[in-house]
Amino acid sequence: MMEKVLLVDMDKCTGCKQCSLACSLTKEDLFDPDRGRIKILKKEEIALGLQLVCEQCESHPCVASCPNGALSRDETTGIITVDENLCTSQGACVDACIYYAIRLHPETKKPMFCDLCGGDPYCVKHCVPEALQWVDKSEDLTKTKRKLRSTRIAMYKELKKEAA
Amino acid sequence: MFGHQGKILHVDIGTGKSWTEDLPEEWRRLYVGSRGINAKILWDYCKDPSITWDDPRNIIIFAPGTVTGTTAPASGRTSVTTVGCTTGLYLKSNTGGHWGAELKRAGYDHLVVHGVAEKPVYILIQDDHVEVRDAKDLWGKDILETDALLKKWHGEDSRGLYIGPAGEKLVRAASIQCSLYHAAGRGGGAAVMGKKKLKAISVKGSKPVRVKDPKKFAEIAQEMRELLKADSGAQSLHEFGTSGSIGAVNELHAFPGKNWQTGYTENAHPISGQALNEKGYLKRRVACFGCTIGCHRYSVIEKGPHAGIASGGPEYETFGALGNGPGIIDTEGVLVLNEVCNRLGLDTITAGTVTQWAIESYLRGVLTKEDTDGLELDWGKLDEVKKTVEKIALREGKLGNLLADGLKIATKKVGKDSYKWAIINAKGLEQSNVETRSAKAYALAFAVNPRGNDHLMTETFAEFGASPESIEVIEKVTGDKKWASPHFTEYRAEIVRWHEDCYEITEALGFCVFTSTAAYGVNPDNMARLFAAATGIELSEEEMMLTGRRVCTLEKAFNVTRGATREYDNLPWRLMNEGAASGPLKGEKNSKEELDGMLDRYYELHGWDKETSWPTRETLEMLKLKDVADYLEELGKLP
Repeated sequence: MMEKVLLVDMDKCTGCKQCSLACSLTKEDLFDPDRGRIKILKKEEIALGLQLVCEQCESHPCVASCPNGALSRDETTGIITVDENLCTSQGACVDACIYYAIRLHPETKKPMFCDLCGGDPYCVKHCVPEALQWVDKSEDLTKTKRKLRSTRIAMYKELKKEAA
Repeated sequence: MFGHQGKILHVDIGTGKSWTEDLPEEWRRLYVGSRGINAKILWDYCKDPSITWDDPRNIIIFAPGTVTGTTAPASGRTSVTTVGCTTGLYLKSNTGGHWGAELKRAGYDHLVVHGVAEKPVYILIQDDHVEVRDAKDLWGKDILETDALLKKWHGEDSRGLYIGPAGEKLVRAASIQCSLYHAAGRGGGAAVMGKKKLKAISVKGSKPVRVKDPKKFAEIAQEMRELLKADSGAQSLHEFGTSGSIGAVNELHAFPGKNWQTGYTENAHPISGQALNEKGYLKRRVACFGCTIGCHRYSVIEKGPHAGIASGGPEYETFGALGNGPGIIDTEGVLVLNEVCNRLGLDTITAGTVTQWAIESYLRGVLTKEDTDGLELDWGKLDEVKKTVEKIALREGKLGNLLADGLKIATKKVGKDSYKWAIINAKGLEQSNVETRSAKAYALAFAVNPRGNDHLMTETFAEFGASPESIEVIEKVTGDKKWASPHFTEYRAEIVRWHEDCYEITEALGFCVFTSTAAYGVNPDNMARLFAAATGIELSEEEMMLTGRRVCTLEKAFNVTRGATREYDNLPWRLMNEGAASGPLKGEKNSKEELDGMLDRYYELHGWDKETSWPTRETLEMLKLKDVADYLEELGKLP
């Protein structure tokens, strides 16, 4: 199967939260945006919806940050797995993530990582404005993905700076 | 509970007490949710006609829908129900945004606010923590300031609903704003909040929403999502917003201008959704909670004398009422006026219609320069329109005080036949920008609307036959697609009756009415199936539609307690007596004869008495509203 890549475009996001709801549905059979592995930062006064989600990144500082060694990474897919027996919910991975993508589950307090639904992300089907796209990987699209990501993260940092 | 959270939250802002009540299972079967259950609650608490809009016993109810908070597409809407201030009758208003979904996440399906506070208050809801708090630091603040303070105090991810200075001053045109730029605008619900001294409601919730059969629910939600994705109407709403249709409406000579004296404007392009896109004012397409369409706009002026103006919208109605209406055929002009309304908390439709009446009254010499506080009103003068709108919002000067009470009161004060160019019907609400003279189902729907003459208790867009989907609806309702033309008076009652029921269940579930009556992805069949998957309550399509009919009749009965008769179901004098200025239906009116013919058939279809328009006991009992029949009999208002 052709390798795929998830494009996450802030400018097309309408802030509706279908993606987070869809994620909580497929993972837990209920609807709760706080349980979405993808989350939307909603800034109502400028009508912004900003998506934050695990990027399966090369640097994956979350893994090293965990004092208990609870996180492991699949070297092929980049997907992070939590060993819930080792995890003590201290949230070091939340602070370590350079893409602000990790948060703790509201009930179990374990960190939630996007696993791309095993290669067929459920959220993408719900994103009618195509702010999320699951496309065949190419060099160009990998560049596009990075560019879209830098735009989102730059905006996120700006918003946090303003808030502080 | 599945679908619903199962709780009604009551807050008495007079005593500061709050309590919850379980949502009765029977109400879900009879009224489905949101708008329907609100109607039942309002009837139970406020049926006594001595309870006027400003009576402390009046309540105001807020309710997200049965499937709000889920992936059902565009299901994040909230109904707001009260005794309205503009008409003194039944008022249901409805808002988008993200506040309603948050209320549901806090664990509540309905919030009922009772009483009057001595000093300004706001309600804080954080899951089970409910508190009535002092609002002295919020009172007097505009919408943006209010929202910012609430977020500062209660978190960036809390959601707010509030009134601006206009609501505080009991202006009829005031709107309840929600998530900043969304609004339950019509009918003066904001004045009810103002009278109660309720400035705002801040909500933060953390509870999931569960449905009975998640797998089936997801399948039906997907079916709806895909139908909407393929629907040309929904696509246009995303691309151009509600104002994307202005070009087409203008070509039909149905775009009201100069207080409904014109229907066609040469080069109306600057006041359209297309112009927002082309000229770079559109910054973002915005969705309400869970909406896959995203028709809302966020527009910004970056350069020139108006640089820095930024707000949600403008919508079709705003480009109509504050653009084409007062002759402001200028994108930036409408952006400026829209921003004032959003900031001060004004309904753009009523603010615009009232302003147009003032301009025409001034040009006719019925209002003098003294009456206008020195403003030389005329068509196309942005500064004068802006000053008028600000005066209305703040009840400033002679003009502001006259117009702030709406046209029902202003025409009585001014006299001199000024009702003839006041675009209100007998109930007293300012009409939304639909040219009913050339759209006959709309005319009937507007006339019988319990809250006054607008498109927001039912909408019959299908009669235009503008898409294959809408022609199909007309064929389903009338038996023949040839009736898909707005010029016919035949079968309009049938079309209105079907749309009333469909529109009501759409709102009861929490869907945006665009999904079922402007685009056609959501319909009675898939709503009935979705309701069953969500709640476990199996209703057939027909039973589901009957709940809509039940609610429409209950809303009607509420107005009957307040003295409503057949005479209340009419249209503005100008539209009934003066012909359309141009176009294919030049000279066409909503004459009394024409309306009477449609009304007779409409009441007959409802099982309401033709002479009085009152529901009969037989009809009420068939709809399981025996207690309503008994009460109306007590009042001597049963035919």
